[in-house]
Amino acid sequence: MTLRPIEFNILLALAAEERHGYAIMQEVARFSEGALSLEAGTLYRALHRMLKSGWVAESARRPAADVDDERRRYYRLTPLGRRVAAAEAERLARLVSAARAHRLLSRA
Amino acid sequence: MRNRRFAWWLVWLYPPAFRREVGLSFVDALDDQMRAAHAAGASRLRTAVSAIRDTLKNAPAEWAGELRHRSARPHLDAQEKKTMLDMFRQDVRYALRAWRRRPAFALVAVMTLALGIAATTAMFSIVNAVLLRAIPYRDADRLVMLWGRTQANPQTLVSYREYDAIRRDARALDATGLWLAQSVNLTGGTQPERVIGAFVTGSFFDVLGLTAERGRLFRENESEPGSAQPVVVITHAFWQRRFGGDPSAIGATLTLNGTPLTVVGILAPPFDPSTVPAGGWFLNCDALIPVGHFPGRNDLSGNGPALIGVARLRPGVSLAAANSDLDVASKALQKAFPTTESGKSVNAESVQDTIVGTSRQTLMLLLACVGAVLLIACVNVSNLLLARAVDRQREVALRAALGASRFMMARQLLVEAGLLTVVSSALGLLAGRWSLQAITWLRPPNVPIPDHIAMDGSVLVFAVAVSAAVALVCGVLPAMGTSRFDLAAILQAGFRRSTGTGGRTREILVVVELALSVALLATSGLLARSLMAVQRAPIGFEPSHVLTLQLRLPPARYGSKGDIARFFQRAIDRIRSAPGVESAAFVRAVPFSGNGGSTAFTVEGRPMPPGSEPQASYHLVTPDYFRTLRIPMLRGRDFSDRDDLHAPLVAVVNDTFARTTWPGADPIGKRIKTADLPDWITIVGVAGDAKHLGPTDLPRPQLYVSHYQNPQIFSSLVVRTAAAPMSVANDVRQAIWSVDKDQPLWAVQPLDAIVEATEGQWRFMAVLVGVFALVALALAGVGIYGVMAYSVAQRTHEIGIRLALGASTSRVLGGVIARGLRLTAVAVAIGSAAAVTIARLARSVFFGVAPHDPSTLVAAAALLAGIAMIACYVPARRAASVDPTVALAEE
Repeated sequence: MTLRPIEFNILLALAAEERHGYAIMQEVARFSEGALSLEAGTLYRALHRMLKSGWVAESARRPAADVDDERRRYYRLTPLGRRVAAAEAERLARLVSAARAHRLLSRA
Repeated sequence: MRNRRFAWWLVWLYPPAFRREVGLSFVDALDDQMRAAHAAGASRLRTAVSAIRDTLKNAPAEWAGELRHRSARPHLDAQEKKTMLDMFRQDVRYALRAWRRRPAFALVAVMTLALGIAATTAMFSIVNAVLLRAIPYRDADRLVMLWGRTQANPQTLVSYREYDAIRRDARALDATGLWLAQSVNLTGGTQPERVIGAFVTGSFFDVLGLTAERGRLFRENESEPGSAQPVVVITHAFWQRRFGGDPSAIGATLTLNGTPLTVVGILAPPFDPSTVPAGGWFLNCDALIPVGHFPGRNDLSGNGPALIGVARLRPGVSLAAANSDLDVASKALQKAFPTTESGKSVNAESVQDTIVGTSRQTLMLLLACVGAVLLIACVNVSNLLLARAVDRQREVALRAALGASRFMMARQLLVEAGLLTVVSSALGLLAGRWSLQAITWLRPPNVPIPDHIAMDGSVLVFAVAVSAAVALVCGVLPAMGTSRFDLAAILQAGFRRSTGTGGRTREILVVVELALSVALLATSGLLARSLMAVQRAPIGFEPSHVLTLQLRLPPARYGSKGDIARFFQRAIDRIRSAPGVESAAFVRAVPFSGNGGSTAFTVEGRPMPPGSEPQASYHLVTPDYFRTLRIPMLRGRDFSDRDDLHAPLVAVVNDTFARTTWPGADPIGKRIKTADLPDWITIVGVAGDAKHLGPTDLPRPQLYVSHYQNPQIFSSLVVRTAAAPMSVANDVRQAIWSVDKDQPLWAVQPLDAIVEATEGQWRFMAVLVGVFALVALALAGVGIYGVMAYSVAQRTHEIGIRLALGASTSRVLGGVIARGLRLTAVAVAIGSAAAVTIARLARSVFFGVAPHDPSTLVAAAALLAGIAMIACYVPARRAASVDPTVALAEE
């Protein structure tokens, strides 16, 4: 199974903590160092797919009361989603070591 | 808040499943994103544009995925449909329950809409029948009329010579024919009878695409002047009436205008004449006679105008192209006959324009008025629904809190409005059929409305479209009004209703309906003024106590001018001695009867190039005509019995003729010449101006020539009587028959009946628009009453507090009325402007009144303001009589 880049990005954004939609967009922008700016429509189409596939779920828990905005819906990784993300990360890691072996990537 | 609403609109473009699962969260994210972009300095427009771009990219992709998905799961699809149907059923049940709870509401709403739909459908049926189905012939859009034109007369008949030239030269025309309907004497039966004949060329049948039901039609070579064959084609209706549908009619002989003609065919009726305006125009006759038998002033070989040209354009040829072709033909003719044809041309006009002509403005104005009434009805119902929706706000808010989506609420309102519309459309269509009947009874004489108007397919399509529009207006406006509420505020407000919700929408709606009412009232006022102006306009003659009738002497028996003049003189002698007759005269065309003619003339000493001579309306009268119609003789003398064929030619002109032709000089003794008389004519008298075509005639030069000096076979009789005109009708008939027992007489009627009939159009418009205006006024009154009463009821609590705090009752009263008047003032301004615009656009429908006639506009405004005052006063009283203790205790 191959994962679309956007899906992997969302999984990564949710790996650390539960987030609402706009927070996912910000997080993705942050760890791609601004290279990937996610549009809301694109994000939610992916999110919708991933909800149906059972990789992410709406979170029942809420963050601490002082940072909570009651109307928001938060999303979290499901165990399946975490495994999918891990598998993708491993695949990418193997590709990265292969790239290193062929001196495509400096060790820095 | 604005961002969120905008985001909602965008989310609406995604499939339902998507919206259900991530919609709310999506809206939040869009909102956050736009806010952040805005905070970072991006303009509102830029953020909106990028959000729209995002949606346009993703929503269709999501739909595509969704549909692919759906088609892969047919069983789920069926399930979803079922739930949709269930929801619809639930909505319908809900609406019906609401109606049962408040039957008065349902009744008022349904009746209001039914009334509007009925009137609109009926009026559209008429417009459809008159404007859209006017010419039920094959390729009707390619049919044109050909009119002659001289420099002085823009619309005259076409001569046979011109017809020949057009047939030869005008390539743009597929087929060209001549046609003219005229009374024809049918003799040889038990008594003389007048039938309507149409003198046509053989090619006429090709132009209209006509065929024979039995026998055959005649051909071009059988209709040509000089070699016309003794044949005739009769119409289906005449065949039934005269021959009882007997097939042996083919071969029978009809003596028409004294010439025996053999019936060679029966025309197949291409349509039912009672369902088309003016009976189908060309075929509203009994017999079609070869044009060579035409009993005209000249024998068709000359250049005089004779008949009306009818032609069919070649496919794809424009009217303009046809006209330039006709110009070429006219130029060739001018070159061939420079003395007689110069300055003359022939031009084509679409048959639609000729037939429908001015009635288009009349009908369109009526359709606009009736549409305004329907709109007012919609606005009222919309207001009712909106008021109820606001009443139900708490319930709606609760449902929303319990998970009902905004879409569900809007759907509920739409379903209810749709249900209202279906019920009222059904009632409206029924009522429309009846009002159609009522309107056709009232129909004016010069708007060609058919006897039977079918509610055909296009009427049904129109009615369905109108109903759908009604449902949308009635449903969507309240839905928009209620979708903007703040859940928490409403739920927290308890029983105290939130103020202002939907109030603005309702006020706008009321202004719209008040403005429409003002426009209708003003239009109807202008029409009433027009009717009065028409009735008051001096016509120049006295129509009461005058009997009129028409006759046409058969040319076969009255071959010479002397024969005709002798008949006139002997008949007048006999009629004068009949009991009850004060005076009598023959006149070629009775005023207001639709008959008439004009002639070019030259004044002695002022030679004019042919074709550019001045024109005057042309009247042939016997002595005593002016006395009989009480047209004053201003100078000189009337004709006398001595002004006959052997005496020098004399004429009487009207005041306008005298003043325009010889300004400041005495016209008596001056001489003029016309084309149809060989010698100079001496002016012997000046008569007052008398209108001829109708009450709205402008003054124009009129030339009267003695009928004894220019005898023509068609004439009319006017008889002044002491008693009721019809009481002498029999004696007058007998008097004429004592001179010629075979002479048919028709159109026997009093002159004042003819004059009144010409006012028919004005009365029709005034009555109809008056009724519309009253309905509009009543609906608008109810509308503003509803809004004011509702707002007072909503503000009972607040008014209670103000009264408790010491506000005087008059202050409260004044406040409510002032609010109503503010709305009215805005509406009056808009409505008056609309009325002036309408009156400007439909100029021809009005007479003798300016579109901005101040007294009419002020009266309309005052009437509406009065009604609005009354409608506001009742709720205002109620507000002023609020008992503070009760109002405050309500909480």
